[in-house]
Amino acid sequence: MKTLMMSVAFGAAILATPVAAQVMTPTEYVTTAGASDLYEITASKLVLETTKSPKVRSFAQMMVTQHTKSTADVKAAAMKSHVRVAPPKLTPMQQELVTELRAEKGTARDAAYVAQQKASHGQALAVQKAYASEGTAPALKTAAAGIVPVVEHHIMMLKTM
Amino acid sequence: MTMKLLIAAMLLGTSAAAMAQSSNSTNAPPPPPSARMATQPPMADADMQAVLNQLPMLGAKPIETLTPVKARIQPSAADAARAVMRQRGLSTAPDPAVTTQDLPYGSDPMQFARIYKPVAATGAPMPVIVYYHGGGWVIADVNTYDAAPRLLAKQLNAIVVSVEYRHAPEFKFPAQHDDAFAAYAWVLQNAQSWGGDLSKVALAGESAGGNLAVATAIYARDNNLTRPVHILSVYPIANSSMDLPSHMDAANAKPLNTAMLKWFGNYYTSSPADMQDPRLNLVGANLRGLPPTTIVNAQIDPLRSDGETLAAAMTAAGDRVEQRTFPGVTHEMFGMGAVVRGAYDANQYAIVRLKAAFGIRN
Repeated sequence: MKTLMMSVAFGAAILATPVAAQVMTPTEYVTTAGASDLYEITASKLVLETTKSPKVRSFAQMMVTQHTKSTADVKAAAMKSHVRVAPPKLTPMQQELVTELRAEKGTARDAAYVAQQKASHGQALAVQKAYASEGTAPALKTAAAGIVPVVEHHIMMLKTM
Repeated sequence: MTMKLLIAAMLLGTSAAAMAQSSNSTNAPPPPPSARMATQPPMADADMQAVLNQLPMLGAKPIETLTPVKARIQPSAADAARAVMRQRGLSTAPDPAVTTQDLPYGSDPMQFARIYKPVAATGAPMPVIVYYHGGGWVIADVNTYDAAPRLLAKQLNAIVVSVEYRHAPEFKFPAQHDDAFAAYAWVLQNAQSWGGDLSKVALAGESAGGNLAVATAIYARDNNLTRPVHILSVYPIANSSMDLPSHMDAANAKPLNTAMLKWFGNYYTSSPADMQDPRLNLVGANLRGLPPTTIVNAQIDPLRSDGETLAAAMTAAGDRVEQRTFPGVTHEMFGMGAVVRGAYDANQYAIVRLKAAFGIRN
């Protein structure tokens, strides 16, 4: 009886905590972050093929370098956390964005790229911040915390474009 | 017996706790689902439906089942419209007839505004439109809502200031209203240096931003700030009553449904009492002495009754209000004029109204 009472109390304590976070699972986080990096890299390489703007060129080159690094950081942390990592894959939305970019020429492609970058970096920051604050796999949580200021810096740069 | 009572008390406690508003975490779970309403919304026009059909193809999941962070990475209605544009061979790149510049109005990284300026500016002072984006104060940003401010800048040869603001649940009500008010005051101080005409300032916004446009006009009236010459409020959040007709007939509409209204409220309010605050429940605010107002609604939208009841309340308060509900279109249509006829008509209507407010002939 006493055990039953305690287990009921325990169960209720869990149920009665409405603030319990529903944080991404480690696999969800790794998949989301990997797809986001892959999209940044793919889009940046696409604009590097055509841009004549030095500002867009240097930003896109920086994106390729730094998002390649964040993918490696997350992958290393995932191994430490014993999370299996499938190779990154674009979501249907990211696939569409890349297709849209490919359809644009010249300065229109530059403008579409910058617009896409502004939107996608806001989303990337939301994902990294959320996992950095409440992620359940410690190594991945640390990796996310390290990526947050990098993405914030990209957003600051995008505000000048 | 005691046991039964204990369990009953715990279950009661649980359901009461589950009713509480969310924490400030973007990982906070969605509110428990309500009983599903079976009502099917009216049919959308074919061109509108073509846009809605893109959402599941782009991988969009129902917002009301997600945490805020997952909701923020879902494809938006604007993304769906761009996919249709691309499929029709139209450019999805931002219209180069308008340039943009991002400037801060506060110390938080979200406290900035995007200034849209027509390339064809002649040097003569231009009308100024302060525009607030939608997204239920939880999702979306100035990037999501690029279409309407860009169009208004081009068509009205005006400076449009699209205001970003801190989002919920990290910052709950009234943070978004405070930011909207601060941004308006900041625009009044700076618009002349951007080439703006301070005698021609209008407020505009979509959805949650349609609420902010009206709330800011009230703020300007009450704080002796320069009053806007016009308000353009597109499908605003304006009425906290939960049993409005559109909450029923458009309960299962897309891209906004009635469950999402509850979902947004769970994250942007700190207590149920917030919902009755006149800044949210605009129909209960003192609406006297507000500028001439245009309210645009979509037929297939749970917020349709918000706009209709706000128009009635403003009219009763003695304001000059025109409200139109566009048939065959849904929430978020206002940014889709390039591919949805009903949205184009709504855009033209808003442009004609703003031209009249600014004294622009043609």
